Amino acid sequence: MTAVQDGAAPQTHSGVGRFLGQSVKRREDARLVTGHGRYIEDVLWPDAWHVAFLRSPVARGRITTLDVSAAAALPGVRAVLTGADLNPLAKSFWQTAMGKDSPQPPRRLLATDDVRYAGEPIAMVLAENRYVAEDALELIDLDVDAQPAVVSDHRGRWGAARDEELVHPEYGSNVASTLPYPGMPTENPALEEVLSSAPHVFEERFHQHRYICVPMETRGLQARWSPDRDLLEIVSSTQNVHEVRSMAARLLGLSEVQVQARAEDVGGAFGLKCFVDKEELAVAAAAYSQQCAVAWIEDRNENLVAGGHSRTEDLTVTMATDADGTILGIKGHHVEDVGAYPTYGVGGNAGLAMMMLPGPYDVGQYFYSAEATFSNTCGMTPYRGPFLMETVAREQLIDIAAAELGIDPLEFRRRNMITTEQLPFTTPMGLVLETITPIQTLDQAAEIIGYEDFRREQAAAREQGRILGIGFASYIEGSPAFGAAGAEQVTVRMDMQGKALVFMGSGSHGQSVETTMAQVVAEELGIDIDDVRIIQGDTTSAPYGTGTAGSRTATTFGGAARIAGQKLREKILAVAAVALEASPDDLEVADGVVSVKGTPGAAVTVEQVAAMAYAGHTMLPPEMEPGLEAKHRIRNPPLMFSNACHAAIVEIDRDTGAVEIKRYVVSEDCGNMINPMVVEGQITGGVVQGIGGVFYEHFVYDGDGNPLTTTFLDYLLPTAADVPDIEIGHVVTPSNTPGGFKPMGEGGAICSPPALINAVRDALAPFGRLPNVQPLTPEVVLDVIDGTAAV
Amino acid sequence: MKPAPFTYEAPTTLGEAVDVLGRYGDEAKVLAGGQSLVPVLALRLARFEALVDLNRVDELAYVREDDGAVVIGAMTRQATVEADPLVARSVPVLAEATRLIGHFQIRNRGTLGGSIAHGDPAAEYPAVVTALDATVTVAGPDGQRQIAAPDLYDGPMTSTLSDDEILAAVSFPVWDPGSGFAVREMARREGDFATAGTVVGVTVTDGRISRAAISLFGMGPVPLRARAAESELVGADASGLDLAEVGAAAVADVDPPSDVHASGRYRTRVASRLVARALESALQEASR
Amino acid sequence: MSDPHPITMTVNGQQRSAIVEPRKTLADVLREDMRLTGTHLACEHGVCGACTVLLDGEAVRSCLVFGVQADGAEVTTVEGIAPAPGELSDVQAAFRDCHGLQCGFCTPGFVVSITAFLEKNPAPTDEEIRSGLSGNLCRCTGYTGIVNAVRQVVRERAGGPPNGGAPAGDQPSEGPPTQGVPTIAGHAVTTLPSAP
Repeated sequence: MTAVQDGAAPQTHSGVGRFLGQSVKRREDARLVTGHGRYIEDVLWPDAWHVAFLRSPVARGRITTLDVSAAAALPGVRAVLTGADLNPLAKSFWQTAMGKDSPQPPRRLLATDDVRYAGEPIAMVLAENRYVAEDALELIDLDVDAQPAVVSDHRGRWGAARDEELVHPEYGSNVASTLPYPGMPTENPALEEVLSSAPHVFEERFHQHRYICVPMETRGLQARWSPDRDLLEIVSSTQNVHEVRSMAARLLGLSEVQVQARAEDVGGAFGLKCFVDKEELAVAAAAYSQQCAVAWIEDRNENLVAGGHSRTEDLTVTMATDADGTILGIKGHHVEDVGAYPTYGVGGNAGLAMMMLPGPYDVGQYFYSAEATFSNTCGMTPYRGPFLMETVAREQLIDIAAAELGIDPLEFRRRNMITTEQLPFTTPMGLVLETITPIQTLDQAAEIIGYEDFRREQAAAREQGRILGIGFASYIEGSPAFGAAGAEQVTVRMDMQGKALVFMGSGSHGQSVETTMAQVVAEELGIDIDDVRIIQGDTTSAPYGTGTAGSRTATTFGGAARIAGQKLREKILAVAAVALEASPDDLEVADGVVSVKGTPGAAVTVEQVAAMAYAGHTMLPPEMEPGLEAKHRIRNPPLMFSNACHAAIVEIDRDTGAVEIKRYVVSEDCGNMINPMVVEGQITGGVVQGIGGVFYEHFVYDGDGNPLTTTFLDYLLPTAADVPDIEIGHVVTPSNTPGGFKPMGEGGAICSPPALINAVRDALAPFGRLPNVQPLTPEVVLDVIDGTAAV
Repeated sequence: MKPAPFTYEAPTTLGEAVDVLGRYGDEAKVLAGGQSLVPVLALRLARFEALVDLNRVDELAYVREDDGAVVIGAMTRQATVEADPLVARSVPVLAEATRLIGHFQIRNRGTLGGSIAHGDPAAEYPAVVTALDATVTVAGPDGQRQIAAPDLYDGPMTSTLSDDEILAAVSFPVWDPGSGFAVREMARREGDFATAGTVVGVTVTDGRISRAAISLFGMGPVPLRARAAESELVGADASGLDLAEVGAAAVADVDPPSDVHASGRYRTRVASRLVARALESALQEASR
Repeated sequence: MSDPHPITMTVNGQQRSAIVEPRKTLADVLREDMRLTGTHLACEHGVCGACTVLLDGEAVRSCLVFGVQADGAEVTTVEGIAPAPGELSDVQAAFRDCHGLQCGFCTPGFVVSITAFLEKNPAPTDEEIRSGLSGNLCRCTGYTGIVNAVRQVVRERAGGPPNGGAPAGDQPSEGPPTQGVPTIAGHAVTTLPSAP
């Protein structure tokens, strides 16, 4: 059933049209490449007071002295605010997606009495500029009586319930949350039976260290409270202006119509800016209490230390197979360190990881348990593929098991992958997979990278003392579109010139939404893409929404845009039918002209139709509403899926342990591509974040909870010299949602870590076992080569 | 991340610079390329009453040959050193080491003297100075004096210049014909400070090593000389060396630091292999 | 004299003056006093390269230079790279053609750095390109589009076609082989019908 298209006939390829499926150049770029982008720091209000936060120098302790009087007296300082000033303003403090009643640590804007992580904000200076604000910080008299901190990078800290010190005494335990949820079965007896009787059982504990979003633009927010207007205006570097508006309103006890939030160009986020954290809310609260404009631009040091952290977890996977390597059952136990104040609820990604651990495989019996633990470290925040530990662990264990069974790792995967014949496939967690293609992407990746040839090259290289390895990993990317996130609205409004304004609640921060959504709408309306303009990131003009996050933009906004466009096209045809005295069914629209099918002479331009729809409404039938505007709020399934296979080839320097990535191949199936160039950009960006995570990036605390990697000199992002060209192949299987689109924004970051680690493991196989540690620094690798590894 | 206030002094001659610096004593800091100093100021890890900017002191920017040495003014940009034909011909390892410093944007602004005065133990220039037995000229209220390489550093980022002295020039002796050099380093990423590194120089006369220098960087509080290994090299047959053994000897007595990037144990192992690689390359160059 | 200093510099061909505190970085002077916000600050400690400008023709980090040090100098920012308003330089156009940017925050530093880099080395190898880019951090693109953009400019300046004959966003002609794989507009593609 595999149909292969060749390059000569792209127009026959499903989902490809005049604009759809084309690598249309981005309309964002003209401003961004010339320095005319407008990020928040470029649009600071002239009346804004600039904020610098005093932050805790220790991980845990009692505040014994806090005297801000000298700082407040410094010329150029408007005020120095403490928790005593701001915390009473906080009427309520919860993220919309979590709900009002979900458990969470005791929230506060600024620390009072005690501090619970290094970097926790204690006071905020409002000054005429950031230089003066930082001068004032140095004048604040702060003493903290340090106490023993609850800290670890997670390994060895399995017994959080037994910790003697509590991160949040009010919470009563350092265990933030557990799985299964109360009321769910606490074990799967059938799985236990399989594990006790299966010919082979493999168990490993995999670790993922702390690495973080690090958008090139840090966080930032400015707020102005104008009592005369009864209005709190906010501009924020955010993925989700609606959440900024809602959080600020709830915090201050305002109604949501008293708060307007918008975003300008946003310089990356990767999850960091989809929720709203205490610093941002403190700025809003300061503006409210001081009745003025207040602006905070996070600096890089703050961003690294206190901008929200991610990963930091262990996942133990137990897998039973029969003698031929058929998986009979899988059990997972997940432990996450969510820090002191995770931005969402009590944090933790185990809920989603639990759903995704079986991945693209038919795993038989299944069970998953988890524990999230508080610590005196920066709180957890979502980072691209937040639940990726499931793929990171599963794909490593598969390679380990395949090696022990003497089965080729690709063959092991093929044997256990869900086949096309099994679709729709219901997973043990009840997910219904309808259009995934794991075997096809695996085969395509193997073909592009030349798997068989590589094995021969590897053998020859080993003879010469070179150390080469190859690694594969496969996954399905689940895009969570729960609740309101699965019901985005797009409104298309055509003016009397036949040009379309499109309003949506997305929050592009690099995803090219201004281009891709214009492609979708222009395709439906039959007008030029330059006559379509996307308006987003503004609570006053965009429909209610949940912003850009969770890989949902193509599926939810794209699907809604497609249907809204169809609705408007029908209206255009209906109005044109009046003008042309024809049936709408006999009309078609293309290149801005509505014509009678087969009679090109009988035509009217879309501009003429638009003028008629508004100004010529007396000509319209009485039941027809004048104007050209259509909207659609989509109803998408709560989880949508794409799939991919990644393959990496590495070479290792035997003297230093340095790893060079020689090739990197991705084969993916994200259904119909709106813009292949943008799809590939999302993949390459995600892959390189995985490269960073595996080999370079590590946010490190010492044993007392002091952060050690507080600048870009120590927190190492990968550079162009550290990464290869990313080669990409596409398998196209349209989804069953409008447009046939699938989620794909996070997959590059999800699947690259295990592919890379597997490649290193394969390379080092002649030397010994790769310990389950991350990141794979040159030292970890060299220890294996030299036989000095402490596993 | 904004610097604290300071008074800005921008002298145009070395004499004026020394005078201005003398007025402030240890309350002032000399500003050369600023590529290490400005981040320290921005992070408020240090603050000074005044910065004495040498960027307008044109007399400190030159490369010239002087009595068997290449003398380079302190304010010569690293990019200039990298591209200078005299350096390439007479002190090639200095050019090679320069290419390992940061990135081209850093080298466009960073200066030779600034890096040497700053004395980061993981930086390339101090290791080159140490290996080549270069001499530093400093100017102070009492005139100029010379500091030989072994006496230049006290500890991490601490030179033996006094607070009222300015590093004015560095003199790199030109080694005899038949010499070869190499610099090798391991850094987490291109342009990073070295996790471990080495600068090696050898002179081969009639098939035997007549002069040898091995410096190590990133391996201790200051750039180190592997004197014992050097002594074993001198007089040895250049073609019959056990390079790994020399590498091991070079790190036998070092006790490198551990940090978030690597343990001291790793640094030792890698440095030993880098010495072997560098020595192999230097010997090849010497025999050309 | 921590008091403000008067300074004058030529910025993008225009003589501009300001009165600035000595501690104010050139980046902040450009952004605030010269009202040129294209120069971005993403680390303020000299690592990320987003703030790169040309100072007397040489690419430098403007967060590591004080504004007072640029008194009398000639400065080119990203706003001064395009030949005319509404036009793009070849480097800027290549960024657009090759999807060399996503969020765009790091892009000004890349555009300025690459402009300077190619002046000095007009025919870099792939390895030299990646090395030359290594002083600028990008978090979105994975660098593939940026490397392709540099390759495109090198090809164009050597008289070749802008995209090696292939549409934007495709595998570069020097890129790794994908022979035997069906393609659509240069992308390896296998198309499957929708599942039952």
